[in-house]
Amino acid sequence: MPQRFGGPCSVPDPSQIPAPRRSSKPGAAVRRARRRLVSLRRAQHRLAEPTGLPELRGGIAENHEGDARAGASADQDVPTIDDAASVEPATNGVGKLRRAFLHPGKGQVIAAAILLLVGMAGVMQIKINTADATYSGARREDLIQLLDGLGAQSRRLESEIAELERTRTSLKSGADSGRTARDAVRKQVQDLSILAGTVPAQGLGIRMRISDPGGRVNAEVLLDAVEELRDAGAEVIEINDTVRIVASSWFGQDGQGGLLVDGASVTRPITIEAIGDPHALEEAAQFRGGIVSEIEGPRISGHVQIEKPDPVAIDSLHATNENQYARPASAAPTPR
Amino acid sequence: MIPLIGLLVGIVLGLAFEPSIPQALQPYLPIAIVAAMDALFGAFRAYLEGTFTDRVFVVSFISNVLIAAAIVYVGDQIGVGSQLATGVVVVLGIRIFTNAAAIRRALFRA
Repeated sequence: MPQRFGGPCSVPDPSQIPAPRRSSKPGAAVRRARRRLVSLRRAQHRLAEPTGLPELRGGIAENHEGDARAGASADQDVPTIDDAASVEPATNGVGKLRRAFLHPGKGQVIAAAILLLVGMAGVMQIKINTADATYSGARREDLIQLLDGLGAQSRRLESEIAELERTRTSLKSGADSGRTARDAVRKQVQDLSILAGTVPAQGLGIRMRISDPGGRVNAEVLLDAVEELRDAGAEVIEINDTVRIVASSWFGQDGQGGLLVDGASVTRPITIEAIGDPHALEEAAQFRGGIVSEIEGPRISGHVQIEKPDPVAIDSLHATNENQYARPASAAPTPR
Repeated sequence: MIPLIGLLVGIVLGLAFEPSIPQALQPYLPIAIVAAMDALFGAFRAYLEGTFTDRVFVVSFISNVLIAAAIVYVGDQIGVGSQLATGVVVVLGIRIFTNAAAIRRALFRA
């Protein structure tokens, strides 16, 4: 602004404003002149009403928000403000604010639009920050480093997984072989328990009832009967529902002609139950010269009745006692 | 009054419609916001001092935001992005404090 006008409160007539040297178009010159006039009017207005704060203006007028035009006009006004402020009653920024609230102008609308933008941007930024605060602000090198670290970690974890899977496989196969061995042992224990007479047993078989009115069935006849049955494949034998015949069973007679099996007396009639193939057992008992013909023969003249109940249940047990003398000659094989 | 309403409407719009800016511009949004705050404080101070001009306000607002974002962008390109961002924030922060002090003096004479 090359021109300067006399009084601070005087407004030049537009016709007095000289045409600017730079512009050659008359329209531009008029526009410039009008703008100048408006600026000066504003300055006049400002000075006419109390503006106040001359010391403030003098102190910090140089660091306005980069305002070429407003700064220029302010510079223009500076020398005159002191006079005006000394005469006019000073008002402060609060009064200015109050007036602005009551009489909004065009500048406020623009400020409102810009504040709207800033508010939106602020909200967006806050949302971005809260949504993914960890990585959105990170730079490329940091992200690459993070990625490398994660890749190495995942490789380590994958090798760990492979190792654990190998361990699991080996443990599983070990468990399988252990279970097989356990099953075999359990089956063996069952077989041996039945053989030793320590568990009840049931299955197909025969029941042989020997009625012997003369009391002439002795221990030998009974032993013969048991051996015939064993020969025919009897797996479990029981006499009178009370005595289980096992490997160590013995047959004898007490002094009065009573029968003893394993030390227990056997009353007549004698019932022998045997588990095995019923047909084979019956044939073994009844063949000519066998136990039935012997008992029903003239020497004993008893009677034998054979039935085939299904199943034959044998509940009596043999009480085992530990071997006092016999020991295994070699160490028992340990099942794996 | 109207600027306050504008600010509130902007916040409500941002909350309601959740506008999103392109991923490439996201690192420059915080710097742009700080620059905008600086321009706003400067404008408020100029207004209290009677030197407010809306045209200057708009121009300074836009140029402040663009220059701040551009400085950080250039810094990112040459590998000193975070340092330059810090520098821009510090400078703008100093300006904001200066403007705030002037506003305080204008409003409360203290």
